Amino acid sequence: MNVNLTVNGETLSLDVPPSTTLLDLLRDRLGLHGTKEYCHSGVCGACTVLADGKAVSSCSMLAGQVDGADVLTIEGLTPDEGLHPIQQAFVDNFGLQCGYCTPGMILLAKALLDENPSPTREEIIRYMGGNICRCTGYAGILRSVEAAVKERGSWS
Amino acid sequence: MCAATGPNVTRLVGQSMPSLEAPDKAAGRIEYMADLTVPNMAHAKVVRSPLPHARIVSIDASEARAIPGVVCVLTRDEVRADPDVEEVYGFVYRDAPLVAMDKVRHQGDIVAVVVADDVDTAEAAAELVDVEYEELPAVMNVPQALAEGAVQVHEEFFPIAPELRPIEGTNVCHHATIGCGDVEVGFAESDFVYEDEFLAPPVQHCALDLHAVISQIEDGQITVWTNCQSPFPLGRELERIFKMPARVIIPYVGGGFGSKSRDRIECVITAAAKLAGRPVRYVMTQEETFMTFIRPAYRNRMRTGVKRDGTIVARHNEFWVDVGGYAISGARSANNTLKVATGPYRIPNARVDCYAVYTNKPPSSPYRGLPTTQHTMSYEAQFDRIARDLGIDRLEIRRRNLVRDGDIHITGDYLRSAHSHECLEQATEAIGWDEALPVDPEGKKLRGRGVSCTIKYTLTPARLMSENSAEVALVENGVFEVRIGTVNIGQGSDTVMAQIAGDALGVGLDAIRIVHSDTYRVPVDSSTTASRSTYHMGRAVVEATDNLKPQMLEAASQLLEREAASLVFTPGGIAQADGPSVTYGELVERVGSPLAATGDCVVGGMYAGPDGKSYPIASTFWTFASCAAEVEVDTETGTVRVVKAAASATTGTAVNPHSIETQLEGGIGQEIGPTLFEQLVWDDGGQLINAALLDYPLPTMETMPDYAPRYVDHPFEGGPFGAKGMGEIGSVVVPGAVVNAVYDATGVLFHEIPLTPHKVIEGLEGQR
Repeated sequence: MNVNLTVNGETLSLDVPPSTTLLDLLRDRLGLHGTKEYCHSGVCGACTVLADGKAVSSCSMLAGQVDGADVLTIEGLTPDEGLHPIQQAFVDNFGLQCGYCTPGMILLAKALLDENPSPTREEIIRYMGGNICRCTGYAGILRSVEAAVKERGSWS
Repeated sequence: MCAATGPNVTRLVGQSMPSLEAPDKAAGRIEYMADLTVPNMAHAKVVRSPLPHARIVSIDASEARAIPGVVCVLTRDEVRADPDVEEVYGFVYRDAPLVAMDKVRHQGDIVAVVVADDVDTAEAAAELVDVEYEELPAVMNVPQALAEGAVQVHEEFFPIAPELRPIEGTNVCHHATIGCGDVEVGFAESDFVYEDEFLAPPVQHCALDLHAVISQIEDGQITVWTNCQSPFPLGRELERIFKMPARVIIPYVGGGFGSKSRDRIECVITAAAKLAGRPVRYVMTQEETFMTFIRPAYRNRMRTGVKRDGTIVARHNEFWVDVGGYAISGARSANNTLKVATGPYRIPNARVDCYAVYTNKPPSSPYRGLPTTQHTMSYEAQFDRIARDLGIDRLEIRRRNLVRDGDIHITGDYLRSAHSHECLEQATEAIGWDEALPVDPEGKKLRGRGVSCTIKYTLTPARLMSENSAEVALVENGVFEVRIGTVNIGQGSDTVMAQIAGDALGVGLDAIRIVHSDTYRVPVDSSTTASRSTYHMGRAVVEATDNLKPQMLEAASQLLEREAASLVFTPGGIAQADGPSVTYGELVERVGSPLAATGDCVVGGMYAGPDGKSYPIASTFWTFASCAAEVEVDTETGTVRVVKAAASATTGTAVNPHSIETQLEGGIGQEIGPTLFEQLVWDDGGQLINAALLDYPLPTMETMPDYAPRYVDHPFEGGPFGAKGMGEIGSVVVPGAVVNAVYDATGVLFHEIPLTPHKVIEGLEGQR
């Protein structure tokens, strides 16, 4: 089947088997390995990407469901030089250890800050509670998102 | 300008800095196993046993082989037909066949490997492999496995490590004892004797980076890419099995927590690659990881004799560890914790019995501190019962018994850097131990605080030997390449090694490049386990720089035509005071080739005590820690929430302080799962019913307590710049503190984790 979508600003028209998930499309077809897989059941959030600005588990979406959508992955968030402020906040605040959940966490934080530029700590916890990290105990991630919120005014 | 830098000059050590690779991780640019490919590779799917224990009657793979795109199917027949392949692997306990030979020993045991041009074809063909089983009675837990007349999971035992001793004719694949004094005399001298039994069910590590391997055989040489934590032992095992040289390459690893500490799939996938005549890639599913390695079921029966004032006189500790169907990892792990089962206390008469028992569960592996975590929960929960019974303050009873420097441990070790008292004080102070607890006006939510203390060992050889080496090389452009076998699993090892190497050489971080864990590019290392790398690899790195410096001085002396003794190292090169100088880049360019030296970390042997006596070294260093936790128990729903959790550990010199704090936070946060809600559950038919993450809750940001990570950073004699390891210690102390906090809140002492709402309600009702 044919799927038309925008990935990281690039308009694509792809012929894919109907069973292709968005995760397969990104990783196997487009070679965008920054999107990770673990549970393959929409629970862990390692495969989180933004589709039309909303955080979705790409393992649990068929490519056909994102027909016409604007998809952002970690590769698209990363500027040509340096890092996006949210990424920088994760680096500076020890918001990552093994790094495997990190792209999904950062995109989830991006969706949160786009929806709600000044979330309270409770709102951050509720929103970010959807993704699993096994290394940090989440404290560094919370500090990172809070730091990004503080800096929110300085980036568009 | 500075003189040759030694361990006295630190500019990088002691500084908090994000990991070197953090920007690439934040950008999603780091490649993990599942991101790697090699040319012409085929893809594997594994046919796994649906039954926990069965004899294999027949395997018919003809239908699978006939599918277009299928390259080959590896079964016991192909393994037996190849005279150049050994059938059984395991470098600690040699009991695991590459694929099941006569029988399967756990649900998920590997029966066949289907190799195809793509994953979907391999998966479809795997469905068509027809295996006929004759079901055998299964022993699904330790009591069943130890019962009179129980079926034997293995008829023969093949321990490799010399300390492993099976009991023939039983399912006990290892039994060992350690002791001091005379426990019977000790119990006779005690005013009171307490006996308790504690239980902890299996859980899985849930490292998000799925276990995966690529194996390639080319020109008589194996190359394996894998996320295993023991590249060198794995390489040697591959060479033994396939009788050809093997190179093992480990990329960045997305967590392991012990689940990747030993091999389980590398040998079988290499056999598949040999049969296929092509490189083969295999990535597990999350469900398959639950059938591969798990934290073992644990049971501890503990008798403790005390004086009226709470002084411990005697302790007998028997513990059983369920190693599952294969002892490749679990038996030695259990044995290692003999050394710490009695806790960080002065006990004149002690005995510990360790039993590692085969069952038909998946194999067990260490989990962030082995069963030290469960030991700690056991002796700490019992200690609170004793304190309450004797009317002694919980902190005071610990203070009366905690070890100090110069005490002799149950192993005979002379304890050094044993700041157990400081850890206890730091942790309790950090959560406001003496402050009044909030009171729920409706009386439905109860608050309480609990504390636990522990002692943890690190992997230590029985005799004097080098456990690992490092190589440091001055290469092009004046860069110092630090070549280490340590696997970067997220613990921050590259950064710590760069800090140590930078200070040892007197250069900045930008002059350091870490090369890690490729057995053909770095010198030998035993494993990245047991919190051992900072100390062991750090020491090897310092020694390598010590060995490199004379070479650099000699080369500079010739170039500058000055006496070597008149030259000094500077951050940028080598110089004579008020005289000529050469940069490191010029030096390597003028010499025409890299200058390189190795360093070894020799450990084991005996310790010469300050009293002139000689003491054994059962652990190169001991880590002490305490956790203090505050909980809230909802008496209507049974839900336990950890509100605050502080952990304090002896780290020696803190090489990267903020990294230590975040390791502690991560350890606490992870262990909240097994303490409160994680457990693997099998039904009566021996089927694991919650192998999918949908049915297996993990800690999230919503279960996160307020953390207070602390450390006692007195330099440890012998450590690199005085450092010790600490990667696992944060989790080890959690269940004990939480169980005791719930005891404090409710008056009910739970003897089994996890503290699920159901269990808590039952406990509260039992009290009424």
